[in-house]
Amino acid sequence: MNRDQRGPWYLLTGLVLGVALGLVYAWVLAPVKYVDTVPDMLREDYKAQYRALVAAAYMATGDLPRAQARLDQLNDPEVARTVAIQAQQALAEGRPEAETRALGLLAVALGQGPAPIPTLPEAPLPATDVPAETPVETPSVEAPLATATSTLSVASATPAPTRRTPLPTNTPLPTRTASPTPGAPFVLQDQTLVCNPNLGQPLIQVEAYDAAGQPVPGVEVIVAWNGEQGAGEDRFFTGLKPELGLGYADLVLTPGITYTLSLADGGQPVPDLVAAECESDGGDRYWGSWLLVFAQP
Amino acid sequence: MARWLKFLIAIALGIAAGMLYGWVVSPVEYVDTTPDSLREDYKADFVLMVAEAYQAEDDLGWAARRLGILGDLEPTQIVAQAVAFALKNGYSPADLVLMQKLAEDIQSWNPSWEAPIP
Repeated sequence: MNRDQRGPWYLLTGLVLGVALGLVYAWVLAPVKYVDTVPDMLREDYKAQYRALVAAAYMATGDLPRAQARLDQLNDPEVARTVAIQAQQALAEGRPEAETRALGLLAVALGQGPAPIPTLPEAPLPATDVPAETPVETPSVEAPLATATSTLSVASATPAPTRRTPLPTNTPLPTRTASPTPGAPFVLQDQTLVCNPNLGQPLIQVEAYDAAGQPVPGVEVIVAWNGEQGAGEDRFFTGLKPELGLGYADLVLTPGITYTLSLADGGQPVPDLVAAECESDGGDRYWGSWLLVFAQP
Repeated sequence: MARWLKFLIAIALGIAAGMLYGWVVSPVEYVDTTPDSLREDYKADFVLMVAEAYQAEDDLGWAARRLGILGDLEPTQIVAQAVAFALKNGYSPADLVLMQKLAEDIQSWNPSWEAPIP
């Protein structure tokens, strides 16, 4: 075959060779480098560490809007649920109690939502309130953290006088810090067998209330059991299922095992909790759940 | 035009097409990044969170471990960079106080204090 009969295949060969070389260069030798990433792009375990750190900072400052702003960077539409799940996982994995507690309380606070924000005055204060040509020192609740291209802006932990704010700004946001009410140990007020076939499985349900009758999140519950397959202990906190109440917690009961429940803050333990049967109107039998209501006197 | 020249042009076109595809159409996607690649403002806020937690926990070792995930730099350098960023970008005085307290205290931290990880 002479040169003219070979046709244009050499061009296609060159093109394919070139594409291969270009891809090797673009994907291997000089790939796109992401040096200015955002928390949303973090690997999942780093996101968990990020949430744990947000929770720790929240425990220190009680600043819920700031914690929310930080968690918003993860672009998680169900961040309260994610934090609650992480709290439960941390508890199951035996992570430090401070971390578990911080995550649990942050999940509860996120479930409650932010406190109402005071309405800003639409017009600036009258001129007489601000002396002319005098630098105005006002409390600022916003500390811009980023460069001009950044979108991250987080409320400051403690409002402080600053000369950077030219006009009067919003007063500091009141934040609710979800924490157990300090005071007397919880006392068992009521122990009821709940016959509700819709629950699906037998539970120990705990509700904790303060002296004013308000649900208390973050109360540590200790459940110990003893059965044919050995003994064990589990710990969990109220408020990790905010949709069921801020003072609520539950644990699945295994029929045939005897449980003893107590609160870590003290008080009398509740012994001999075993799964008990209920009967429906049609005569069907199913496992009931125990509802234990604790309150501070 | 000579065949070898056409061949080289074809290769060049192929390289251009490959790079266009690799960089623009389907670039390497970084979805599992590490904190050391975070943008500077996020790193500074990360350090601020560590400083806020340190204020309450008073545990220098724990603070240093948290800073450690921001990269291979010494914790002192990481905090110093964050403080510099905070000063440049007008963080609130309260936040600056927290970060500077951490910056001062972290200088006295010694990795050998930490219990070895089994």
